[in-house]
Amino acid sequence: MSGDSFPLNLPLARFTTDSCEATTLYRELRKPLLRYLAGLGLSTEEAQDVVQDAFLSLHKHVSAGGSQENIRSWLFRVAHNRARGCQKSYARRLGGPLDSVFDSISHEATPEQAMLTKEKFHRLDKAVRSLAAQERECLMLRAEGLRYREIGEVLGIPTSTVADTVERAIKKLAEKCNV
Amino acid sequence: MCDFSGGLIAWMDCELGANEAAAVERHVQGCAECRERVATYEDLSRGFAAYCDAVLETAAVTTIHRKLPRWVHVVTGAAAVAAVVLWLALLPRSVKPVPVVPRVAEARPPIAAETATKPLKPVQRRQVAAHRKTPTANWVLAEPAIQIAIPADAMFPPGAVPEGVNFIANLSLADGSVQGLHLQP
Repeated sequence: MSGDSFPLNLPLARFTTDSCEATTLYRELRKPLLRYLAGLGLSTEEAQDVVQDAFLSLHKHVSAGGSQENIRSWLFRVAHNRARGCQKSYARRLGGPLDSVFDSISHEATPEQAMLTKEKFHRLDKAVRSLAAQERECLMLRAEGLRYREIGEVLGIPTSTVADTVERAIKKLAEKCNV
Repeated sequence: MCDFSGGLIAWMDCELGANEAAAVERHVQGCAECRERVATYEDLSRGFAAYCDAVLETAAVTTIHRKLPRWVHVVTGAAAVAAVVLWLALLPRSVKPVPVVPRVAEARPPIAAETATKPLKPVQRRQVAAHRKTPTANWVLAEPAIQIAIPADAMFPPGAVPEGVNFIANLSLADGSVQGLHLQP
């Protein structure tokens, strides 16, 4: 999973003056941030607002001479903390019509394959609902390509705790999904 | 059953140190059960990533439905019903012909005022009077007379004269003689 992680070796010293660098950073991190925020239960509009606020904060942070290391985890942490304000519950997120969305994104060759995929998705959905909040957050940040150290920075927990939480969460999913 | 499970996911995520990673790799190469576990965990990770995509799509869908809270729909419906009821209540008043009459009456005074301010044109009035002259005008006497209407049925048998036609007799006030007789439909 961490193999999907992409490096962010952007010359952030020019972030405040070079709009091209800011645009590149925004393009690379916008969707992962939106996906993570949607996973926290935010609506699309709320998530977009939070992402914009996070990038505005980054601009101010860099302009003020703040640290330019681990910008990705810094952005996720800011977005995570901002999302706490408007996050209501996971039930709100998970109560959404996932079936219709999954039907629309499922492009299986045959109806049988589509049915199997749908059943698999339902089992996974049910298993994710049973996870603790921190386990879900760790898995979501891991799915966005963050390293354990970065996940720990976002959530404010030690790296070893992240490793244990991720392993425990994946084993729970495997058990609930009967795989 | 292999009891080596610690560090498999961390090894998959390349989060182990070099020595630990090498140890896990050696074990996995020689353990079919752990290889199967690794495959399962990788499959779950891919499924979870797809799940996150679906959640983002769901957020977009629910945002569309959530743009207007439920109470807005209720209030809008109630307002629509109230508007229809109010319209129906006001509808008879709006089509009443009664207000048309006062409008005509109200429209007349300015005309009267306008004609009062303008100088009279006696020539035109006379011409109008001349136009109004009918053949019966020749029957009008200079001296005052009394007109008596005589139903045609009293003078002729039924059906001889069209209905609605009367005979008008002009009586002189001086001696009561009949000065003239004419038909009046």
